[in-house]
Formats: sequence, C-alpha cells, structure tokens
Amino acid sequence: MKPAPAIEINDLSVRFDGKTVIDTFSMCIEPGEKVIITGKSGSGKSTILRSILGFIIPYKGAIRIENELLTGKSVWKLRTCMAYVAQEPELGTGLAGDILSRPFSYRANLHLKGSFDNVPELMERLLLPNEILNKDIAALSGGEKQRIAIICAILLDRGIILLDEASSALDKAATLAILELLDSKKMLTVLSVSHDDKWLSFSDRIIELRGGSTGI
Amino acid sequence: MIMNITDISPWNLAAGYILFTIPLGIILWLHVPMFTQTIVSILRMTVQLLFVGFYLQVIFRLNNPWLNCAWLLVMIGVADISIIRGCGLKMMKFVLPLFVALIVGTSLPLLSFIGPVLKLPNLLEAQYVIPIGGMILGNCLRADIIGINNFYVSIRKAEKSYLNSLAQGARLREALRPFTGDAFQAALMPTVATMATIGLVALPGMMTGVILGGANPVTAIKYQIAIMIAIFSGTSITVFMAILLTVKNNFNTYGLLDHSIFKKQKRRSKAPDFELPPKQGEGFAQK
Repeated sequence: MKPAPAIEINDLSVRFDGKTVIDTFSMCIEPGEKVIITGKSGSGKSTILRSILGFIIPYKGAIRIENELLTGKSVWKLRTCMAYVAQEPELGTGLAGDILSRPFSYRANLHLKGSFDNVPELMERLLLPNEILNKDIAALSGGEKQRIAIICAILLDRGIILLDEASSALDKAATLAILELLDSKKMLTVLSVSHDDKWLSFSDRIIELRGGSTGI
Repeated sequence: MIMNITDISPWNLAAGYILFTIPLGIILWLHVPMFTQTIVSILRMTVQLLFVGFYLQVIFRLNNPWLNCAWLLVMIGVADISIIRGCGLKMMKFVLPLFVALIVGTSLPLLSFIGPVLKLPNLLEAQYVIPIGGMILGNCLRADIIGINNFYVSIRKAEKSYLNSLAQGARLREALRPFTGDAFQAALMPTVATMATIGLVALPGMMTGVILGGANPVTAIKYQIAIMIAIFSGTSITVFMAILLTVKNNFNTYGLLDHSIFKKQKRRSKAPDFELPPKQGEGFAQK
C-alpha cells in the first residue's frame, strides 16, 4: 500500500488585510522527498511554511500532515511531526548549549533526550567548533545561528523538516555540509524555501510560486 | 492604640498648598509641558480625597460588612479599569479575568492580615478592611500594570522566538513559561527592592500612619511587617492569576497571540494580520 503523503495541501488561500497572498495553491509531498519552493519576493513562499506549522490560519483550503487534517486541535500534535528553521532564527536568550537543550524539556520531546549525545558529531559535520556551545546565542553570527537551529531541528528527529532560506547566511562549504547532512537522511521529508543553486540541484523537485495565483 | 493625632484645620491645610508654588514655578521656568496636567492632578487629588474622606466617615460610622465589601469591590473595579488602560490593552478581553485576579489577590492576604494576624473578631471591620485593602490593592495595581504589560508586549516583541518554541513541540503553557517568569519578576522586583531597603531609606506609609496615630514604634513595625507580607503575597497572587486567566482569552486554539488586544497606537505593522475565513470554527480546513 502506498504510504500517505507527508504534506498535502489542497486549494490553500491566504489573505493579508484583504490582499490575497496565496491563491488556491495545492501540492503533495511524499515521505522522504526533498522539495524546494522558489519564487520572487512576496510570492508567499514563507507563508506556505508558516501555514503548514499553523502560524497562519488560511482563508480557505486544507492542509494534511501525514494524512491528518491540520486544525486548531490537531496542530499541537502535528507540530511534533515537523521541525522548522527560520531564515533569521530567533532561538530565545542564553547560551547556545542551553538553547539546544531547551526543546528537550518540553513534554513532547522528553523521550528524545538521548539524541542530545549526537551534538558533537553534528557540530563537526556542520563545521562548528564545540566552544560555540558556551557562547551567548546573541554573540553568534547569522550563519552560526542558522547552523545551531538546523542542529536543533535534526536532534528533534522529526519526519518532516521545513527550512526557510536556512543557509542564506552561510558560505559554500557550510551550505554543502548541510545539504550532505540532509541528503544522508533518506527518510526525512524536506520542504525548503531557497533561491540558492546548490539547493536547487539537491532537490528531487522544485515548486515555483508566481505570487498570488501559483503554478507548480 | 491611643489616638492622639493632631488635626489639621482647613485653613492650615490650604496654606500648605502654597508649597505647590515651588514645583509649579520650576515647571514654568523650565518650560516643561506639564503645568496644566499638574494643576489637574492637584485638583483631582483634592476632590478625590475629600470625597473619600467624607465617604469613609459615613462607612466607618455605619460599619456595615456589606457596605464595606461593596466599597472594596468598587475600589477593585476602578483598579481593574486603570490597569487595562495603563497597559494600553482592549478592555473587553481583560476586564473580567483581571477583576477575578484582583479579588483573590486582595482578599486572601487581607483576610489573613485581619484574621490570623490581627485576631479581630469582625473580619470586615471598616477601620481595617478599607485602608489595608486599599494598600494591598494599590500595590497589586502597580504590579499588574508592570506584569501584564511586560507579558503581552514581550511576547509580541519576541514573537518569532515564541513561535519557534511552538514549532519545537512546546505546549502553550511551556512556550509561555519564560515570558510568564520574566513578567512575574518585573512585577515583583519593586516590592522586593522595597523590602530590602525598608526602614533604611524611608519610613514606610503604614508605619508612619501608626506612629502618627500614637502607637509606639515597635507596634508600628509589627504592622509594617504584616502589611509587607500581605502586599508581597497579594501582588504575587494577582500577577500570576492575571496572566493565567487572561491567556485563555488572548491566544487562539493554534496558540497564536491575538494582536487585536493591543490598542491601535501600540500595534506594529509586523504583526501577522492574516484574514480569517468568513466563518471561523475550530479548524480552518474544509473537511
């Protein structure tokens, strides 16, 4: 039997202050698929990711995550199926090490505490020195913050990862390290917003948004 | 307690107003744009205190428990509205939960003060309930303005960080905990600082009142300690309950902060003003 789609969006419309940003957008992403969303500024790329996370309530349409309809009730459970990395991650305040361990104090992630042992390996893979863990998060560069956010997302061991320009502040070597890491996780579904050619060549499929009304 | 306080004649008090000419003169000389505001405040203080003075005379004379309770409720209602206005928030979403928080936060320490501490036979004795209740309530008001404002404004400012917690699997309570802690700390810090310096920097109001009333300083100190305990516990209860009770009204089922709670002048354009479907139910999706 064919597994249920990881993410399924049907006729999604999002309006901001009377202006339609996303108009009847549909897409289906299979488990393990690596999909990139591109499009010009304001075409609604980030809005799609934020709608999937339940941070924007669409005007119309339906979103299903692993075959479960996203509603105000199911969103809490569905968020624990996904990890998210924003373009300019705001991870809170404190030391980078504490920021990494904070999500594991949430009840939904208590069973994942063991995955914290993978931090040194992930730091090395993403070309980050271990000393960074003892630094205040506010003192880190944009690229370091992005990599900390990606490590945090990987440690959460979700089936789906949503990335919003997650390597925009990174150099070529660090971006390739991230792509290599994501590529090594065959079962991980990746939905990433990016304009970077390196991401485009990494993907299984590219979805191009044309702003307002969309095309795939 | 021996009541041998010297009364002030109306003429002497009126003469006391002459002192106001000094700050008003400085205001005028420095062209500080608060002359009218200061005059209005002086007039308001005079009229309000005169009204309360006469009203309290009646209340003390009647000493009716129901009337005393009613007066306390009026004070709480006024504090409730002042807090919401002071925070720049919309009235409807806050008025009831805040009222409940203020009732609990004021009455619990007040009754503990008058009951177990003072051992008064009548828990609703006007002479004690009104002034002590007023002192607790006044501090709750100040703490609530700091606490509630800090809580909602910092969530709005750090919304990306808050949403990041939700994306990481936090429940609403878990995502709000750091903001609640910060707001609680900010609200209680002034009282903590007051407790640390009390008696050294200035003689506090309650103690001064009891000494002026003719009691010896040791009795005054005992009253002051008891009132500080009541104020600190009252403010803690009110701030914590106010946050707890208002959260339900101001976050939707997705855990998103309702930005319409902020009055227009304080809103920022970065707030997500997404338009909801015409008929908003539990979920947005069409099944």
